[in-house]
Amino acid sequence: MALISNGTTILDAGSVASSFKGSMTLIKKLTASSDATLSFVNGASGVVLDGTYKEYVFMFNNMHPGTDNTHFVFNMSIDTGSNYNVTKTTTYFHAAHNESGSASEVEYQTPSDLAQSTDFTRLQNFSNSNSDASCTGTLHLYDPSNTTHVKHFISIFNSSSYTTDPYTLQPFTSGYGNTTSAVDAVQFKYSSGNIDAGDICLYGIS
Amino acid sequence: MPRYHNINGNRVQFTAEEEAARDAEEQAWADGAFNRAIADVRNKRNRLLAETDYLALSDNTLTSDMTTYRQNLRDITNGVDTVDKCNAISWPTKP
Repeated sequence: MALISNGTTILDAGSVASSFKGSMTLIKKLTASSDATLSFVNGASGVVLDGTYKEYVFMFNNMHPGTDNTHFVFNMSIDTGSNYNVTKTTTYFHAAHNESGSASEVEYQTPSDLAQSTDFTRLQNFSNSNSDASCTGTLHLYDPSNTTHVKHFISIFNSSSYTTDPYTLQPFTSGYGNTTSAVDAVQFKYSSGNIDAGDICLYGIS
Repeated sequence: MPRYHNINGNRVQFTAEEEAARDAEEQAWADGAFNRAIADVRNKRNRLLAETDYLALSDNTLTSDMTTYRQNLRDITNGVDTVDKCNAISWPTKP
């Protein structure tokens, strides 16, 4: 039995018609090796960051800083990576719990948000540079090539933060790039020092 | 040690101008270390005080232990003027 609508087969023999399927396409994987920055720039080396997809997802695996007590941050570009300085307004709150079990919190942190600033946005706070510490998470960037609306993004991370009193820290960052120009490049770095190691995979959602 | 961008998987060495800009950025970061550390201490102090604020309402009498605990929290930044002192703070135990 098939499911047919107005002459178009939607479901047949366990298969969904291709026009009804969504997909998550791996575009590019970058691996850090003591790099100061990691950048995805549209139009080169197989990187697509344009109107091909309405949503892009960056997945971060075990990002490890070269310097203790730093923040993992990102910014966007509207000139294919010549400048990473898009004006942004953002929010930041986190849940946190330390290894000793003596402290836990859910807290909005004003020092971690931005109001119409071109600064890099924090995705994660107070990285612990111990060899077994890292942070992991996702960043969704919506419709970066849209030339009518602002550029929304939402991020969730989890990290092992603070060296002297280690915490699991779950930051929630969201906001928008306040530009109607197409965003065509994104850059990640630590607030100080290099990205010692870690992978970032860029996916397109259709 | 030169710095490198990783752009789409290709390593590109910083220009002299980029090195100078990043040096300045990292110096500013280092210079702000104490401000970040003491802000973190104050955030934690304020959070711990807020957890027991309800005990200090006008229709309640604080125990002596709780009064001491809250005063110790208020005094937690006294004499703390370096990052090392921030990291070495011994927090009072909630009664």
